[in-house]
Amino acid sequence: MKKVFALVLAAALSLSLAACGSGGSTPPAASGSGAAASGSASTATYKVAMVCDSSISDGGWGAACYNAMVDAAEDLGWETAYADSVAQSDYASSITSYCDLGYNMIFLPGNQYSDATVQVAKDYPDICFAVLNGAESLPTDNITSILPDADEIGYMAGALAGLMTKTNVLGFIGGMEIDTTKAKLAGYEAAAKAVNPDITVLSAYAGSFDDTAKGMELANGMISKKADVFFGDASAVDSGARQAIDTANGSGEIAIYDIGQPADLVPQNQNACLIGSVVTDNAGMLKLAMQDVEAGTFGNKTIYGSFENRCLSVGTFNDELVSAEMQTAYMGFIDQMSAGTFPG
Amino acid sequence: MDIGELILSTVRMATPILLVALAELYSERAGLVNIGLDGIMSFGALTGFMVCFLTGSPLLGIVAGACGGILVNMIYAYCTISLCAEQIVYGMAINIFAPAVASFIYRIYFGVSSTLAQGTLMKTVAIPVLKDIPFLGKLLFDQTPMVYFAYLMVIFTGIFFNKTKKGLNYKAVGEYPKAAETLGINVVRQKYVACIICGALAGIGGAYLTTCYVNTYSDGVVAGRGFIALSAVIFGRWSSGGVLLACLLFGFCDALQLRLQILSTSTPYQLFQMIPYVCTLVALAMFGIKKAGPKANGKPYLREER
Repeated sequence: MKKVFALVLAAALSLSLAACGSGGSTPPAASGSGAAASGSASTATYKVAMVCDSSISDGGWGAACYNAMVDAAEDLGWETAYADSVAQSDYASSITSYCDLGYNMIFLPGNQYSDATVQVAKDYPDICFAVLNGAESLPTDNITSILPDADEIGYMAGALAGLMTKTNVLGFIGGMEIDTTKAKLAGYEAAAKAVNPDITVLSAYAGSFDDTAKGMELANGMISKKADVFFGDASAVDSGARQAIDTANGSGEIAIYDIGQPADLVPQNQNACLIGSVVTDNAGMLKLAMQDVEAGTFGNKTIYGSFENRCLSVGTFNDELVSAEMQTAYMGFIDQMSAGTFPG
Repeated sequence: MDIGELILSTVRMATPILLVALAELYSERAGLVNIGLDGIMSFGALTGFMVCFLTGSPLLGIVAGACGGILVNMIYAYCTISLCAEQIVYGMAINIFAPAVASFIYRIYFGVSSTLAQGTLMKTVAIPVLKDIPFLGKLLFDQTPMVYFAYLMVIFTGIFFNKTKKGLNYKAVGEYPKAAETLGINVVRQKYVACIICGALAGIGGAYLTTCYVNTYSDGVVAGRGFIALSAVIFGRWSSGGVLLACLLFGFCDALQLRLQILSTSTPYQLFQMIPYVCTLVALAMFGIKKAGPKANGKPYLREER
């Protein structure tokens, strides 16, 4: 009896290990019409897999990238699979296992996978690798970079923050000091100062994308230093920051604001402090990469995501907090930005 | 820098670590090294959050967190006590198994969305007379009930292990289980009791994060606090007072580094993030690392063995 029980336990534990390694696979969204509409008449279905170091249910970056893949795949009738919470040491082996399973494209949502991708891509010339936020120097015959303009994301948030602040102190909370986060912070600061030269920006890093409590503590610290508009680039940590802001606002007037990204967060009505969002359409860019795979033109290029090609957009405003004049002024800055004259 | 804010932040950050460090203290006093605290916390954080989200009652969430913690720790208990398996291996297994199950359940229930589900947070309760003490009163006696619970547990644990017969019997199991058995103490039962207490407290520590601290659950919300608690027990030299000091020191350093980052934006933040760990290292070096723990700590107990 004891032995049987021990075996059952061992099986359960090792199963969980196996689950960590391979992740879950989502059955194809059986939308026959979608497949027909995209015109993929070939008998074989295309398959895409995502390997991700954060969790896909983090309510931030991981979730946004996963949803982007699922949305793009649904439109084109592709099958999807994912492995999340993959440790850095397992990037390469995890990517390799999807290659061996016959996936047509591997989607890697971040610059941190570049080394592992280059390493694996050499051995699998027929498989396409799409690296989100990958460097412009990364693409080879079977690697494409997808690059949303981090500077522009920073500008768009910074202009709104610069207009909305009353104390002239802004807050920025990053997860880790990665290239895109640094670019967003620099853009945020530059745009805010272009709107209002008296502004100072407080910035700090949580050192994690999951530790919600750290986001809360950092936001509290910045609020006591008079910061009144926040922007962040730290997934789940951002939600901790928003909680601290909501608590600081209390039940009275909302005087401390937050700008969301990468999804359109205001319509979701979760945090009263949200005034607007900078929306990144990862699905649109990923779809371009997938169409390249179907057409056989994949590789050797960078797909840029900018305000100009509608991969970045201004999210819904919170009309109660952002007045109509403010919105007009903001859109003025955005127009200047797309004309290349802002923040100068 | 606002000292009051810093102290408040210290108390907030130290409490979950303190609860879990006490869990480990109960476990190690019965000779069971449990490095699976991170896993137990994750599961407690999830069950606590789910129940709090569904019922709207953070208190029920805490209770559920405790039950979830016990449930997970019973796997560890059965394997290490009844099967005499290696404790470190099973602790590690729990660390891999429990967070994965928690994230699985969360995803099945809430799906994958661009925002996290938000629950209710436990309200703070001010203690009538003590809260009027100038300065400190507002900081220390206007907290959630779980903070008071953690500090009362420190006092209770200190008295229990040093002044009561039951506590001394409990400690004997961790020191020399064979001698304890000859004196009529049921070693195996005592070890199971230790695992129930450990699971409950670690589960509460996890549930504290999602019902009293932040109002969301996300994978990785525990963020290594279980391992910090583990070191706090060693650092606090297996006494409840020492554990309290270790947790407060760590909480203080962490709160301080976050504030220093905001004050000096141009300094590389990695430098500040080292502070809590450097402090721990320095303190360990100063207090010495002479073995002070229970003698039979980490050793499986086989009744028939000579």
